[in-house]
Amino acid sequence: MTYARRAWIILWKDLLIERRAKEHANALLFFCLLLLFLFQFALGPDRERLAAAVPGLLWLGFILAGLLGLGRSFLGERDNDCWEGLRLTPGDKSAIYLGKLAGNCVLMTAVEIILVVLFGVFYDVDLWTPAAPLALVLAVGTIGLAAVGTLFAAMTTQVRARELLFPVLLLPVQVPVLLATVSATQALLLGQPLADVAHWLKLLAGADLVYVTIGILTFEFVLEG
Amino acid sequence: MPSNWGYVLAAYGIAAVTLLSYWRHLARRTRALATRRPATRRAA
Amino acid sequence: MIRALGWLAVLGLMAGLAAGFGYAPREAVQGNVQRIMYLHVPAVLTAYLAFVLVLAGSIGYLATRRSGWDRLAAAAGEIGVLFTGLTIVSGSIWGKPTWGTWWTWDARLTSTAVLFCVYVGYLLLRSLIEDPEARARYAAVVGILGAVNIPIVHFSVKWWRALHQPSTILGPERSPIDPAIGLALFVNWVAFTLLFAYFLSRRMEIARLEEQT
Repeated sequence: MTYARRAWIILWKDLLIERRAKEHANALLFFCLLLLFLFQFALGPDRERLAAAVPGLLWLGFILAGLLGLGRSFLGERDNDCWEGLRLTPGDKSAIYLGKLAGNCVLMTAVEIILVVLFGVFYDVDLWTPAAPLALVLAVGTIGLAAVGTLFAAMTTQVRARELLFPVLLLPVQVPVLLATVSATQALLLGQPLADVAHWLKLLAGADLVYVTIGILTFEFVLEG
Repeated sequence: MPSNWGYVLAAYGIAAVTLLSYWRHLARRTRALATRRPATRRAA
Repeated sequence: MIRALGWLAVLGLMAGLAAGFGYAPREAVQGNVQRIMYLHVPAVLTAYLAFVLVLAGSIGYLATRRSGWDRLAAAAGEIGVLFTGLTIVSGSIWGKPTWGTWWTWDARLTSTAVLFCVYVGYLLLRSLIEDPEARARYAAVVGILGAVNIPIVHFSVKWWRALHQPSTILGPERSPIDPAIGLALFVNWVAFTLLFAYFLSRRMEIARLEEQT
């Protein structure tokens, strides 16, 4: 069985479980709706203040949803006694990491699309015009978030105080991703061309490469024991 | 301009207290471990 | 041997104080407050040294599985957080009379604060795992990621700052280096490094003793 096929199987399994049980999807969708209210109430009725804060709120929303969704990446394996099964998989364990990463990216993308649409509708922000460059920023940002999130999720699944430790570990590491994506999103929403945010995209792409590489190299150490 | 010695003293004071406390913490832990196992204690 | 190192560190610190307060001149623009730099800059340099050692220990452990590497990582991580905290506090105290505020999101303070959070997380992770082998493994992964992330944080914060404020002329990062100030800085940096080496040795010894019980 090839490396790619093993990664694909993990992805397919997770997607299939999700499609049948729909537990994550429904809850996260509703969570996004709640976030909308939360942000509105936190910032008050001033439309302009809200509009100015949209880039930050958008990514805050992704991160909050990500903390919930990513943290649970391996819960299925742990609760159903499948952890041993993962450990005993022959060959390079990093295929499992990539499969899980792909699954998490799909999940995060779904959340992001929902949030972008909700923001556009409820906050009356034009997210359609800069849609293409925005999608690019979302893509590189998501990979960064998911790459570290998947690795830390595997780690914290077996540790006490998992729900507390996962955000505490993930958030400081994600600071550069947050800074880059919010800055880039803000520029794009102000109508600036893609070229203006090229340096942010390069930083994000570089960071993604580093995070995924470390994930691939160290996942087998996380999976042991 | 004001000499601001208060701030300087505050900064150095906090640093001194912190570093001294950490040193004492290390000494205390070493002592506790050494008395628990006198047979294998090594001279530092 | 370790005790000798300790005494050497004390000597170094005293020399550093003498250099910082006796030898170095009163800075023209900021006045005496600038002397906090002799504490703040060596502290952050020592912290970076510590986190490089965490990286080395982490890689060393994953490569060899020898617990000595993990002891290095654990000790360096703990002391690194200590010095990072000192950096932040001294930077904040320096900032109050200089910029009028206890905190400012300037590049160095922000990066240092993020660094602090990353490694406090590292220590938290270590404290929550009882099995020494699992602890060493997981900590190593976080240690590697944290260290490799440092330059990424540095650039992202720097560019983010450039967006929001033109760089201040009066700032701890930008004072021109008078050779007397430079020398005092150097002496203090050496002293801090000696102190770090002393703390590290003692902390690693504690870790070794703990392993045996």
